[in-house]
Amino acid sequence: MWPLGETGGTARFAYRYCGVMKLLLAVLSCLLATGCEALPRDPEGTLNRIESSRTFKVGAIGPAQAAAPLIAALEQRTGARAAIRPMTAEPALQALDDGRIDLVIGPFLRDSPWSTDVAFGPPLAVAGSRDHPIEYKAAVRNGENRWLMTVERASRAASAQARAQ
Amino acid sequence: MSGNSVPDEVQAVLDKAIRLEYWNIFWTITIVVAMGMVLGQSETMKTAWAEDTLGLVPPIMFLISAHLERKGRRSDRFPFGFERVNGLGFFVAAVALATVGALLLYNAVMALGAAEHASVGSIVLFGHDIWLGWLMIAAQLYSLIPPMIIGRKELPLAEKLNDKLLHTDALMNKANWLTGAAGLFGVLGLGLGWWWADSVAAGIISIDVLNDGIKALRSATAELVDGAPRALSSADLSEDAQQLAKRIQDEFPDASIRLRETGRLIRAEVHGTHAPRQARHPRHYWPGSEERAWRLAQVSFIPPTREPEEKQGG
Repeated sequence: MWPLGETGGTARFAYRYCGVMKLLLAVLSCLLATGCEALPRDPEGTLNRIESSRTFKVGAIGPAQAAAPLIAALEQRTGARAAIRPMTAEPALQALDDGRIDLVIGPFLRDSPWSTDVAFGPPLAVAGSRDHPIEYKAAVRNGENRWLMTVERASRAASAQARAQ
Repeated sequence: MSGNSVPDEVQAVLDKAIRLEYWNIFWTITIVVAMGMVLGQSETMKTAWAEDTLGLVPPIMFLISAHLERKGRRSDRFPFGFERVNGLGFFVAAVALATVGALLLYNAVMALGAAEHASVGSIVLFGHDIWLGWLMIAAQLYSLIPPMIIGRKELPLAEKLNDKLLHTDALMNKANWLTGAAGLFGVLGLGLGWWWADSVAAGIISIDVLNDGIKALRSATAELVDGAPRALSSADLSEDAQQLAKRIQDEFPDASIRLRETGRLIRAEVHGTHAPRQARHPRHYWPGSEERAWRLAQVSFIPPTREPEEKQGG
């Protein structure tokens, strides 16, 4: 079925596509060398800073106790203590985008207009109506992919809702 | 020549090319779906996905034009059949490539200028948290393979059919590993924390799309405005047409030779001379191998407006 050519054979196939094969091998060896856990890294080094300074700044929108399970999971994973500050949504997200705080936890629309400016983790809980669900979730600075992955893992560990996503 | 616009000699090759293009569409759709499932926020992935989706345009245009060429009969309304539909399809594909390429380049430059940091998170797969970037890389690697094979299969068919649409698609497919490498660099760079790698890779891919579009546009426009026949995948004059012009010029040294291309066929006008006394089939003038003589569909003679004394052409 596959249009492999008149002769077909493996050797001829490999010869014909040796350019691609070389590229595939280069990528595969690169992956093996670095190991799956080596990527991603944070452009601004957020997770490294948190682990070395043993503290991270959290802006909590709404009642802080709702954020407790996620904060506890993050503290356990990073070995750092959370410095929690109650904030309102807009200043908190702007502070996150500017890199002044590391994490925002609060209620957001499922299709939040901020979703292009910050990266949201999976929802920890969902409230509101079916048509307009409000998700309680964490947000991190855009591009800090290692830190984002840590927050996503912690969210899944802290909430059955997040695990179901 | 049959009742449709396709010369008898290339009917079988055309059938083969049609089958290949259905395969091309099938494999391209699998790539578009695979890439679409792991797009994320990455500019590289969005650009590569758009490029892969654009890859559907040439085979679809080829199939539409091949259908019209084969099934469309000459009629009062279309006395020349549909031999130029392929040229129109080539033009449409070229416009699509150039426009989308320009848009993608604009997006990549804006993303780079705004220092956008793409977020690529993780998903749970078989109980493990996996960085989505790994799946992007897997999709990119998969997207390299089918075009490479199809491009190599398309090339000889395009040359036999003298089909610019197919030839451009074949070269684009063959060169796909370059954009694939740029895409892999973009995603790996993103993983290494080089935020700029994503936009730079997207820019490289979009420049490639734009370049393909502009090259195709130059060639397609030349055909539509009755320019001299162009080479299959460049704006240069086609070699067989130049040899033909020389062949006719040698026989009619005082004449002015004008060649144009209608789809895969060449039409010649010989101005300023009379037709030879003995009627000849256009193929008589073809300078190359007989197998390719179908390329020349018409040779017309236009006598001089004022007869030179005692001088006759041929």
